[in-house]
Amino acid sequence: MQKEQADPNTTASTSGHRHVPGGYHGNYLSVNLGPDDQTSVTAQRVSIDPSVLRRFLGGSGLGTWLLLEHGSATCDPLSPAAAIAFVFSPLVGSPLTTSAKFAVVSKSPLTDRINDSLASSGFAIAGKSVGCDALVVTGQAASPSILVIDQDEVRLEPAESLWGATCSDTQRQLTERFSSGWQFAVIGPAGERLVRYATISHDGRHAGRGGSGAVLGAKNIKAIAVRGTKTCQWAAPGDLLQLAKAMSKKSMGSATDKYRELGTATNLLLFNRLNTLPTRNFQQGYFEGAAALSPESMSIARKRTRAYCAACTIGCEHIYALSDQEGADGVRLEYENLFALGPLCGIGDPDVVLNASRRCDDMGIDTISAGGTIAFAMECVQRGQLDQPWLRFGDGVALLKAIELIGTGEGFGRELAQGSRRLAKSIGGDSIRFAAQVKGLELPGYEPRSLQTMALGLAVGTRGADHNRSGAYEVDFSARADRHDLVPATAALAIETEDKAALIDSLILCKFLRGIFTDFYGEAAEMLNLVTGWETTADELQCVSRRIITAKKWFNILAGWTPDEDTLPARFLNQPLPDDPAAQLDKQQLSASIRMYNEQRGWSPEGWIDRQHLEDLGLACFDRRAMGFEVACVSSRR
Amino acid sequence: MSIRVEFYGIPRHRTGVAAATVEVVGATARLNDVFRQLGDRFPDLARDCFDQDGLRDGYAANVNGERFVTDASTPLADGSCLLILSADAGG
Repeated sequence: MQKEQADPNTTASTSGHRHVPGGYHGNYLSVNLGPDDQTSVTAQRVSIDPSVLRRFLGGSGLGTWLLLEHGSATCDPLSPAAAIAFVFSPLVGSPLTTSAKFAVVSKSPLTDRINDSLASSGFAIAGKSVGCDALVVTGQAASPSILVIDQDEVRLEPAESLWGATCSDTQRQLTERFSSGWQFAVIGPAGERLVRYATISHDGRHAGRGGSGAVLGAKNIKAIAVRGTKTCQWAAPGDLLQLAKAMSKKSMGSATDKYRELGTATNLLLFNRLNTLPTRNFQQGYFEGAAALSPESMSIARKRTRAYCAACTIGCEHIYALSDQEGADGVRLEYENLFALGPLCGIGDPDVVLNASRRCDDMGIDTISAGGTIAFAMECVQRGQLDQPWLRFGDGVALLKAIELIGTGEGFGRELAQGSRRLAKSIGGDSIRFAAQVKGLELPGYEPRSLQTMALGLAVGTRGADHNRSGAYEVDFSARADRHDLVPATAALAIETEDKAALIDSLILCKFLRGIFTDFYGEAAEMLNLVTGWETTADELQCVSRRIITAKKWFNILAGWTPDEDTLPARFLNQPLPDDPAAQLDKQQLSASIRMYNEQRGWSPEGWIDRQHLEDLGLACFDRRAMGFEVACVSSRR
Repeated sequence: MSIRVEFYGIPRHRTGVAAATVEVVGATARLNDVFRQLGDRFPDLARDCFDQDGLRDGYAANVNGERFVTDASTPLADGSCLLILSADAGG
């Protein structure tokens, strides 16, 4: 296939017109796959103004800016015009622990709203070594292809032989096919079949939520291969190294013990004890079979190894052997996999959960949305609203069959592949009331009735119900809040955790570090200054966080957001969790908290954003009128 | 006074037990009294989870499954159930 040379002379760093901050290349690589000419791909390096880098940093923040720039809010996310951005950050390649991360940002085919999913490791380092701060892919290849980016050379290679292969097989075959130094982001069969919650996988880890794998699959891209040799300067390398050493040391302290020793599933039994472990599609908060699934039990019963992302000192990945498959690769087990494919579906057999988790990883399916959609269907069967009698809570064979059908696109799998919100619409009746999703994204493993700061975070999240963008559960599990109550202070607490997450996802660092900072914004500013040469401050970074959240919300408004999206399903409102009368979420209180949240964000009580606020945050260029819309956002809505 | 203590996450790893009962002499038991006794019985727990101010970063305590507490002088009623756990749960 025809090759395209990306023109390095268009980069800011070589043009000499702008000073590129340390840690950045000052440009993104814009790749158009066609289909204007079915044999060509075009690539261009596009300068990014340094002021944009300072205002959006990298990762999720810069990705949101890129999507707004590309006008992606109004696109069908599975159309050729839709953009998908792989975004690095100024810290990638630095000695700072956990900094080898990238964000995949696109419009979600599951929610039709903004989606940013993060993953770790070598792809971030190799991708940035291409000499750009982000890759933005638009268009659609004429046939299944590998997008190969070899520093300044961009080409498509045929991928017909890989089409249908699992994520792990694809990764393996690409490693054999390409020489050393390459890194790959791949999709599995689910992405090819446009499963709305398909993932993008790198080295066994996944940019998991929201269906970015389907966006890549719609472009006929099975994998992206990257290799490069370009490096960035750091403003103060000596001091940065000292800071990195100190951070690494702190990262091995008590705040991260749990991740090293037991992994993210550390508190499964605690959640069960506190009635916060979602069970049988959130019908209960307690699962009688939790003990067998706990990492404490699993560690005794089977072999376990640990793995690290590149540039990480924590090593949170705990890989368990399957007892019935000696010699097979182990399974990475995270809390979210465990909850979604275990208690949520009424499954207490660890081997079933591990097998289900592995099949999701192989197929390239988000485990939370898969488990959430299957559990929802199971409840519909339980209630007699769905004629799939094989699909019953607690039936491990049924769970594995359902995952297989989703991945292969056969039979009822085609409907499950749409996610719980679309499935509820097709089932009809009152089923949408117990489809556990917000904006179409299935809830993570936190029961909102017994974690009410989190309930607010889930309701207002721009990506939908999500624990990585709202970390409000950590407030509920602390003395700072009454987890059974929404009070006036709740909005500020939810904002605080959401802002912090936005900055972490844009720097990018691992959230598991969050416990090691005593002054997070101040320490983040110090990191950034040593890398970039800026003189940023904690206050400026707090403003960056608010800008990023508002930019995401603005994307959603452009995409058609309305205030009634910011809520929780009826299941969670005005009725207590069984066996826990204190766990009742008052609908009016939730609405009041949402209004307070919006006002404290500087938005209207309903959640609209006015032009002045956009201007205050430097986002006025994305105003509807500037983007070709006839009506400004707020005046006609208030 | 009798306080039941349940351990979760790393604290359970350090003690090797799911729960223990602590007897405190006197009319009032405070969180620190319980920590002190637990430290005597479970040195690994004391080493990794406690410092002079109470719980180290990364650990938390909850009374009766209801309220989370941090103040080492928090009074505990007879028959209370104290949960000691790894904080910032999830991932």
